[in-house]
This record gives sequence, C-alpha cells and structure tokens, in this order.
Amino acid sequence: MAINLKGIVSPYNALKQIGRKPHTVQYPFQKKEAAQRYRGFHYNDLEECIGCGTCATICQNEAIDMIFIDGFETTSGDSGLRPRVDNGRCCWCALCVDSCPTGSLSLTKDYLHVSDDPDTFLLVPGLDNPEGKENLSWISNGNSLLDYQRIPMPELEGKERVKSFAEVVLGYSEDQARAEAARCVGCGICTDNCPVHMHIPEYINAIARGDDEMAVKIIYDNNPLGETCGKVCTRRCEEICAVSKRGEPIAIRWLKRYATEKAKNKDILKEIVNPTILPPNGHSVGIIGAGPGGLTVGYYLALRGFDVTIYEAKDHAGGMIMYGIPKYRLPIDSIDKQIEYMKSIGVKILFNTKVGKDISFNELKQKHEAIYIGIGFEVPYKLGIKGEDAEGSIQAINFLRAINSEKHVEIGDKVVVVGGGNVAIDAARVSRRLGAEVTILYRRRVEDMPADWEEIEGAEEEGVIIHPQAIPLEIITDENNKVKAIKYANAEMIPDPKGGRPRPKIIEGDEHIIEVTSVIAAIGQEADYSFLPQEVLESIEIKRGRIVVNEYQQTKLPWLFAGGDIANRRADAISAIADGYRAVKGIEMLLLNKEIKNGGRLN
Amino acid sequence: MDKDFINENKTIEEIKNTFHSAEAKLQRKNRIIVKLRSDLIPPFLSYAKNYLSFDHLAHFSCVDWIEDNQFELVYILYSYEKNIIAIVKTRIDREKAEFVTVKHLWRQAETFEREFHEMYGINFTGNNRLTEFILEDWDDIPPMRRDFDTMQYSKENFYTRPGREDAQDVREVITKKSGEKIPDFAKEFSVRKLK
Amino acid sequence: MREKETTLYFGPQHPGITGNMMVKLKVAGDTIVKAETHVGYLHRAFEKLMERRTWMQSFPIVCRICVPEPDPNEENLARAVEEIEGREVPERAKYIRVMVLELSRLAAYFLWMGGQSGTAGLYTVPQWSVGDRDYILDLFEELTGGRIYHMYIWAGGVRRDLPEGFADKVLKTMDYIESRLPEYDKLMFDNAIFQKRAQGIGVIDKDKALEWGVVGPPLRGCGIKHDVRKDEPYEVYDKLDFVVPTYEGGDIWARAMVRRKEMEQSISIIRQVIEKMPGGEYYNKVPTPLNWFVPPGEAYVKTESARGEFGYYVVSDGSLKPRRVHVRGPAYVHGVSLLENILVGANISDVAMIMNSLGVCPPEIER
Repeated sequence: MAINLKGIVSPYNALKQIGRKPHTVQYPFQKKEAAQRYRGFHYNDLEECIGCGTCATICQNEAIDMIFIDGFETTSGDSGLRPRVDNGRCCWCALCVDSCPTGSLSLTKDYLHVSDDPDTFLLVPGLDNPEGKENLSWISNGNSLLDYQRIPMPELEGKERVKSFAEVVLGYSEDQARAEAARCVGCGICTDNCPVHMHIPEYINAIARGDDEMAVKIIYDNNPLGETCGKVCTRRCEEICAVSKRGEPIAIRWLKRYATEKAKNKDILKEIVNPTILPPNGHSVGIIGAGPGGLTVGYYLALRGFDVTIYEAKDHAGGMIMYGIPKYRLPIDSIDKQIEYMKSIGVKILFNTKVGKDISFNELKQKHEAIYIGIGFEVPYKLGIKGEDAEGSIQAINFLRAINSEKHVEIGDKVVVVGGGNVAIDAARVSRRLGAEVTILYRRRVEDMPADWEEIEGAEEEGVIIHPQAIPLEIITDENNKVKAIKYANAEMIPDPKGGRPRPKIIEGDEHIIEVTSVIAAIGQEADYSFLPQEVLESIEIKRGRIVVNEYQQTKLPWLFAGGDIANRRADAISAIADGYRAVKGIEMLLLNKEIKNGGRLN
Repeated sequence: MDKDFINENKTIEEIKNTFHSAEAKLQRKNRIIVKLRSDLIPPFLSYAKNYLSFDHLAHFSCVDWIEDNQFELVYILYSYEKNIIAIVKTRIDREKAEFVTVKHLWRQAETFEREFHEMYGINFTGNNRLTEFILEDWDDIPPMRRDFDTMQYSKENFYTRPGREDAQDVREVITKKSGEKIPDFAKEFSVRKLK
Repeated sequence: MREKETTLYFGPQHPGITGNMMVKLKVAGDTIVKAETHVGYLHRAFEKLMERRTWMQSFPIVCRICVPEPDPNEENLARAVEEIEGREVPERAKYIRVMVLELSRLAAYFLWMGGQSGTAGLYTVPQWSVGDRDYILDLFEELTGGRIYHMYIWAGGVRRDLPEGFADKVLKTMDYIESRLPEYDKLMFDNAIFQKRAQGIGVIDKDKALEWGVVGPPLRGCGIKHDVRKDEPYEVYDKLDFVVPTYEGGDIWARAMVRRKEMEQSISIIRQVIEKMPGGEYYNKVPTPLNWFVPPGEAYVKTESARGEFGYYVVSDGSLKPRRVHVRGPAYVHGVSLLENILVGANISDVAMIMNSLGVCPPEIER
C-alpha cells in the first residue's frame, strides 16, 4: 500500500497560523458590540405607551405582564398599565415590538444580564432601563405587523349624491368588514370613551371571526339603537383607538353598521338578539319623548318586566335621529325597523301625544311610578342680528324637520348656512340636494368646527363652500321683507391670553355682502320646559338650560329622571342612549329595591 | 385535461382505473391527493410503490379530527422518477384506533408508527416495536390527541415561580373604570383569550 | 470463539455536536451487533404547542427545531402557509430567502466540518470552522437581529429589508470563506487520518438508498443525483445556475466530499443572488396576527436543508391556529431506522463519525 505522503504532510499547514492575529474577541477586555438590529432587552417609551397590552397578548411565551406602575393611572385612552417582561421566559422573537400599536416598545442592543437572583430577570422596560433609549436596535417603525390603513368605505360620488337623498355610505361588503375587523387588536381602550361603554372589542372580534349574528347580539346588549349608531354615531371611541396612534383608527362605527344591517327586518333582528324578557313586575314607568334616550329606557325597562309607555308629540318616533338627521345619512326604513323591533318586545309608544297639551304632566304622574324626560333641544337659538325674522331666514332645525317630514321648503338657489356644527353641515348638504348653491359662514377656523371631519369633507365633496372666520352682521331684505343678501365681516383669530382656544375678532372695515335667497341659522338649540308644572320646576334644578341629575340620571325629585340633550352637553345620540341606560339602572333600583333610603334619592 | 400537468393527470387516471373507489385529484403542480377507504390503504400503497414508482415515503402524518371522532392518516409518497408527490389519506376510528403497519414497504415507517402509537395511541398491527419512543414514563392520555390540554397538564404538574401575581388584565382594568359589564355570551370573543 | 456480547450506552451526551441522544449498542468486542436509537432528551412538543398558538406565533417556534440550521424550518412553514392561503411573495423576498437559506447551509456545513473532524480526532478543524461560521452568524445578526434563531423568513416574505451595505458585507464574507476552503482541504479533506477514518466506513447500500428514505448529501454520496432545489425548485432556484454534486461510494468520505463541493456551490449561489436581486417590496403583509385566519387546506412543502429534504405537512381548519404542523426532518429517518441499520458491523469508534456524516440531529427527530 502506497504511503499517502500528501495526506501526512498537508495538515502541518496549520502551523502557518502561528503568530497570526486571533479571530476571537478578548472578552472581557474587549466587548463585541451588537448589530444595529440586534434583538436584546426591551425598552418601552412609557409616555408613548398607552397600556393596550397587545404585547402581552401576542407573546407566545406569556413573558409579558401588564402591571400598574407609579405615575400612571387609568385615564381615557390609557389603561395606566405598562408591560413587564420576564426575561426568564422571553425568546426575543420581537413579535411584541412588531405588533405594538403605538411603537413605544422596542428592543435594544443590551443583551447581558448576570445575576443569581431570579427576581432581577423581571424587567419593566423603560422604567428599569431608562438608558435603553440611547440603545434602540429593533424598532417597529415601518415594519409593523399591524395594518394602519383603514379599508375605505365605499360611498356615492359627490356629484351623484346631490341628485337625491339616497344613503351616501354604501356599507362594507363581507370581505371588507372581515378585513377591517381583523385590524383590531382587541385591547378595549376604546370602550372607555364610549358613553354607553359598548362591548367594542368583542363585537369586532365576532365580525373578524365571521359570526355577524353574535356581533349584533353583543351590540344590542347595551345599545338598542345599534343600527342608528352604526350610521350616525359621533364615535368618540375611534378618537382613542390604539391603532389611531400611528394610523387610521378601526372603523368601529362602520363595522357596527355592517353587523346590524345583517338583520334585514325586525323579526330577523328579534331572532338574532333573542332577548330574555322578564315577566311583568307590576311597575309602571312613563317616558316623555321617543328620542334615543327615551327609547333606550323603554327598551331595557320593558325587557326587565316593567310596563312602559312613551309619550311622543310627533307622529314618528326617533326624536332628533328621525327629524334632525338627514335621510341620506339615516334612512327612514332603518329607523322604522328599530322602532318596530322595540314595539315587538313590549314598548308602548303613544304618538301625537304632547305632554302639557294632549295630556297633563300631573296625569302622567298619577299613572306612573317614575317618569323619564327625554325631550331634547327643540327650540333654536336666534342669530340676534337685524333682518332675522324676514321671509327666507330659516332655523336649521325646523328646516331639517320639515324636509325629513317630506314637506316642501322654498329656499331658492343660493343659500348661506351660519354655524359650524353637524346641524349646520346637515342643513348645507340638504340644501345642496334641493339644488341650491351653498356657502357656510363660520366664526372660527375650519379646524375649530365642532362637526365631524368626515361630514365636513363630505360637504366639500358635494360642492358646499365653507367660509371660515366670517361673522354675520345683518340680513338684508327687500321691500317685501324677503331675504335678499347677508352682510358679514371677516374675522381674525386672537389668541386667548389664558391659553384657551383663540377667539374671532371682526376686522374693522372688512365687510362683504353675498346675495342669497335664504339664510339658514344653525348655531344651537335649547329645551322647552313649559310643560312642567310650577312645583316640579321649583323642586328640580336647572342650570344653563340643563336639568341637574345624579349618576343615575335622577333629578332632585326621586321619581323624576332626565337624560339626553337636556341633561348632558354632548348633544349626540350615543350620550342620550348612555343616559337612558343609566336611568334604567336608577329606575330599577328605585322601584325594585324595597328599602329606599334618603327618601328615594339614589346615592 | 390541462397539458401542464400531464404526468400528474396520467397518474390520477391510473389510480382511478385500478382503485375505483379512490378519490384522486390534482392539488397543484407535482402534487396529487388520493383519498381512500382505510382497508384499501395496504394494497394501494403496495401498488403505488411497485407499479407507480412511488418508492420514497417522504412523510407519514396523522391528524386528529376530534369533532369527527376520527384520525386521519396521511402517507406522503414521492416518486423520484415522476417527480410527483402523492398525498394519500385515509380516516380511521378514533376510539378504536388501530391500523396495519406498512414497515414492510418502507422501513422508516416503523419510526413514524412508533411515534403515532405514543402520541395518538394508534396501534399498528404487525409492528412489534411499538415501544417507548420520545416520551418517558408517560402516564396521561396520548399527548398529541387534541383533547390533551397542555396548559392544564402544566398547571397540574409544574409550579409557577412567584413574583408575577400583580399582573392585570387590560380589558378588566378598563371595564372596572367605566363600569362596563361584559355579558357571558360575549366573553369568549375577547381577544385576550388567545392562549 | 464467539465473543461475549456487552451492552454499551452511547450518549446521551453530545457524541460530536449532534445534540443529546443515546444509542444503545450491543457489542461483541469492538464490533456492533445491534444498535437501538433512544431519543427524547430534547422533546419540546413544538407540534403540540403550535396547535395552541396563532399562525404568526408559530414562526418563533419552528426555528428552534434545528439549532445548526433554523432557516429551512421557517422557510417551510412560510411556504406552506403561503400555499394554503395563495399568498404572493414579492420577488425580492424570494431572493433574500435563497440568500438566507444558502448562508445557513454554509453555516451548517462549517458546524458539520467541526463535528466530523472532531469525531475523527482532528481538533484544530472545529476551532477553525466554528470561528469561520461565526462570520456568517455575524451576517445573520446584522440581517435578522439574531445569531442563531433568525425568525426572519415568515409568511408573505421576510421580516426586514437588507440593511445598508449588507450585500457588500456578504460578498466580502464569501470571498473570505472561499479563501479558507483550501486551508480546510489541507487540514481535513487531504488529511490521511481523516481519509482512513472515512473511506469505506458507514456505507449505505446504493440500491436501497431511495427505498430507505435516505435524502440529502447521504443520498448524493451514493451517486444518486437528487436535490429538492432541482426536483421541485422553490423560490428562485430555477433562475440560478448551480450543479448538484454527487460522489460514488456511499461512505462517510463520499458524503464529506459531497458537502465539500456543495459549499462551493452555495458560495456561487449567494453571489448570483446578490447580483440578480431586484429592488421593491420584501413583505406582503398578512392580516394583524391576532386575527389572521388561514383558510382551510393542507400543504406538503419541502426544502433542501444541509442535511437533506426537510418536509412540512401543514393542515389548516380555517381557524386562527394551525390544525397540524408535522415536521419531517431528514434526521427522522437518518437517525433512527437508517442509523440502526448501518451501525451494525461498525466499530465503536466509528459511531460518532457515522452519526455526524448522516447529519443526525435529535431535536428534529423528537421536535
């Protein structure tokens, strides 16, 4: 056998390496710096973090706990909790970072921790390692697993819209709704801002899982006008959505709309919601006004076995949602379906029955053990300028009511709307549909307008001209006392020395006149309490036009409850529903609790 | 017939002609799925190996369809000659989980069968080596059965290191502040219940 | 005279960087009469755990199935999910994936060189090869944020784009590795000791190799030319120019030579990938992981790992979590039925050599 000389000699080549610089790092004298993306210990920007807990949910090792730490409390938009990482369990997959909605959580280049005390492996990122901020490595910026883009809502085009009162929003398809619902991280931060505290993450999750009927059932658990809210809610929930910190909030309202529309009629709705109706308990409650608040009280009290009667002055239930909101936002079929459903579970509504005219308040009081007032703000404020009583000067609320009652209103072809709230925008958009050119005059800047930005955008798309920082001075009339033009002055914004919002101040001499056929004023409304007897008015407290109530919407008179616009400043349907829901609790406590303390005062 | 999948479709035809009750279909390029009655599996596999040149048992899997009370046995065969993978599936009863071995066709099947015996409790007749394989002194139900709850097992058998009891649930903290009461029927839709 | 049979427990310490596992040997003198594989020391129930985790949460798990080479696992799960979902992967991501897979193949071969020569008693090579492997791990650290568990390839593409200047660094490292290969030849492959220990040992019967389920370098070491990258090209392997080396003999030596040649191919593939890599997107986003439902379906996908065909059978029932993720690593066959077979007749001192040359990796046998 030949000797493998090469095989014996060649390994000695390794000797050539003697004296060469070693490849190894001389630890601990020399330290190897981690790569720019190294996945080391966590760092959390405690101020940016809102405690949504998505990190804890996604963590597949259950390494992350949400805990209370000093200096942070549960507030609106922040659970007050902050993550704590158990580095004994963490696997540094960084799923928590990549799915952090706010982007507050990151990983750092630090990776060394040596200790014989296992407790030191618990780390509250950001609190225990503030120096980590300088050392960020793995960040989610631009690489998030979350979807920050909302599924756009299909809508009629602006040009199409002004041709009719057809509903502008077309609604999500099933695929769109699933995709939009899938964006939700389910933290529930939003529920705190909802006046009713609807179970938002639960019904969105039900939609994401494809169980639309369950979503409807969950919605109706504490909101009997889910479909209305799905169309016109002011959606304060979306303002604090965790995803909105870096992107567009989940379309909570549109998802509610999608789910509730699945119930095509009242029978299907009843079948889906399938509420438990308790046997009659012998107590009787009267409700004045079939607005969203009154209907809520009626619905939940009826479910709980109360005998409820709603007294409504008009021939249709719904209050402001029926008469104040234009039909292109909330079609009448939708309202009817919801009202019919309520009637089917035992809510009695007496139409064309105005308390104080068709029936006296005292009569009501004799018939019922408790009364809930939800009459809303029906009387419009006046502009307080010359020419306001002329023909062609209209109040927005009356205008909308007439249009929604399918009455004809002559506005001509050139309309000016004064105001910047949702009512003003509604009046403007309705006027566009009646064929008029519309200009909105608003005292402050566009960003100060109390109306929804979507509404403002919608108006602009439909060709409404918005003229901000314009203060009306006078309505000019012709010889027949008919509106001819409006005079207004431009205003500049003066910063408030106290730090409040800037105030408009008329620029002297900068006055203009627009020729118009009508002026629609939309600067606010107030309530008409004249139906209340003197002794009631004296016993309750009315402050700045609103009745003072406690947390159960109870007035100073134990048997009298009030809610909606006459009791809260938010002036939206969801707040009225919330008031109604609270009043239900109060009335239940008052009438079913045998031992009533404080002469019936709750709390 | 799609001309892109001549080989695949030809094989499917051959299978259907020989085994009339076989449900054979194309899954995608290089993949066919064959569903068979369980008693036809041994003759089919033998046929596939000897006549259709499926000489490589690439994989052998088992899926627990607890809702149907069945186990699905999945033989993944590969033909080097045809460059096709045949996913051969059959279902067997879950309660009386028994099947026959195929280790005489592919020796590595023995290992898979040992694993399924241990992990699913399936008895493969003809395999005399169904001994302890991966687990040691296991005394619970076969752990890959879907009714075996890992979380519960771990709670019963291991202790949690103290020091993390102060953990809060975000949803609970918020409902506590707002007074929201989540009805029972909605609770399972809380995303927090992922685990 | 018939020698007395003795039982010898080989392991469960690492017999040459393979992972904890035990082979129960019946020996007569120095010769093995019977071998029985005993695994279970590294069972982490990953397949069971994945049934309780969402699809996205499964990605950080599967990479842990194999320490030397985690990426084929991520690749398999990603491709399986993409196949079930019908999800498109951006072209750039495909190139990045191939680059990662080939880098990980190189890293795995370096580790194998260390183990293989270490078990032959050549202790300089492991020092070198583990050191040179670290240069590849440095690249991984920069690209993926982790040296060992990359968690980088996932459904829809890859997790992050290449950092700035990364391609140049890869090319530089490739040049360095290429320059090192002749040194390894001198130390290991030309080494008379290694050749003596490898040639004619642990022979796999060529006629039976296919039937026994042998895959990867052991199969190609029998002169049979099969490679998943050619048989069923995934990602962009069909656009790349490379050959599948084979070697005759079916022994440890043949398998070593196949691997040695494949290292050159991998370097060439990586260079081509960097040259051809297009710009654009690197990730086709999946839905928010908390609400990511994968439609019902099943897929069997395979990837050519450094040790051979790595297969995943994945079943989705349409829910948030996988119904079944069944992993079939090459070692599942190599390490049990094949090893038990070819150990018979071998010497005790060759056991670790044979295990290493087959790429036995217990963590993927028991997951």
